[in-house]
Amino acid sequence: MSYKVTEEGNISTVFLNGEIDMDVTEKAKEVILPLVESGKEVHLNLKDVSYMDSSGISVLIESHQKALEKSTKVVVKEVSKSVLKVIMMAKLEQILNLE
Amino acid sequence: MNLSESKDFPVSTASLKEVRTFSRDVFEKINLPQEQKDELVLAIAEAAQNIVKHGYKGVEKTSDKMEIKISLKDGDLEIGFFDKGKAVVPGNVQHRKLDDIKPGGLGTFFIKQIMDAAVFKKDQKGWVNHLVLTKKI
Repeated sequence: MSYKVTEEGNISTVFLNGEIDMDVTEKAKEVILPLVESGKEVHLNLKDVSYMDSSGISVLIESHQKALEKSTKVVVKEVSKSVLKVIMMAKLEQILNLE
Repeated sequence: MNLSESKDFPVSTASLKEVRTFSRDVFEKINLPQEQKDELVLAIAEAAQNIVKHGYKGVEKTSDKMEIKISLKDGDLEIGFFDKGKAVVPGNVQHRKLDDIKPGGLGTFFIKQIMDAAVFKKDQKGWVNHLVLTKKI
């Protein structure tokens, strides 16, 4: 997994790339959670994420819940078809902010 | 088409990518829709992850291997997982309730969604656990 972060005003966008499994979730959390904790609105762009398992889904849930605590939000954007399928299997499409 | 392929992997999170590559390579030989292949790879990866995460919970580093065997005979797909981690008590293997939104606890749910059955067998032959996932394809 690789990533890129861009900032525009109060919005940080994290572009994740590759496959997100248990081996890389700590790295993903280290990138995403501090941005959320700082109170920023965080956009997670998943268009280049080709695979995500339950560990990756946990990162999305944790980020979403942390954002609620901080009165901000995490928006999950440009979800690839394969990742959307996993999100829907977990019945999270109504819980996460998908765009 | 019938086939049977198996491979050993070090018990480590770093092996999960290799597990997926092995599974994808095997499923390339089977005529199935790509979407179904992707689901099967996810189920295998989740089961392998459970071995690393739960079977070896608290174990910093191990030289143990786990074996994954994919067999297809007359449309019956069987995927075996052999490991030497902590003995699994099948009744304790449960996924979280879906409306209890929190990180974790989804891997077993995904496996149950994708596969027809998941059973721990008692024919380990030198292993501690033998999980068998089956699906009619």
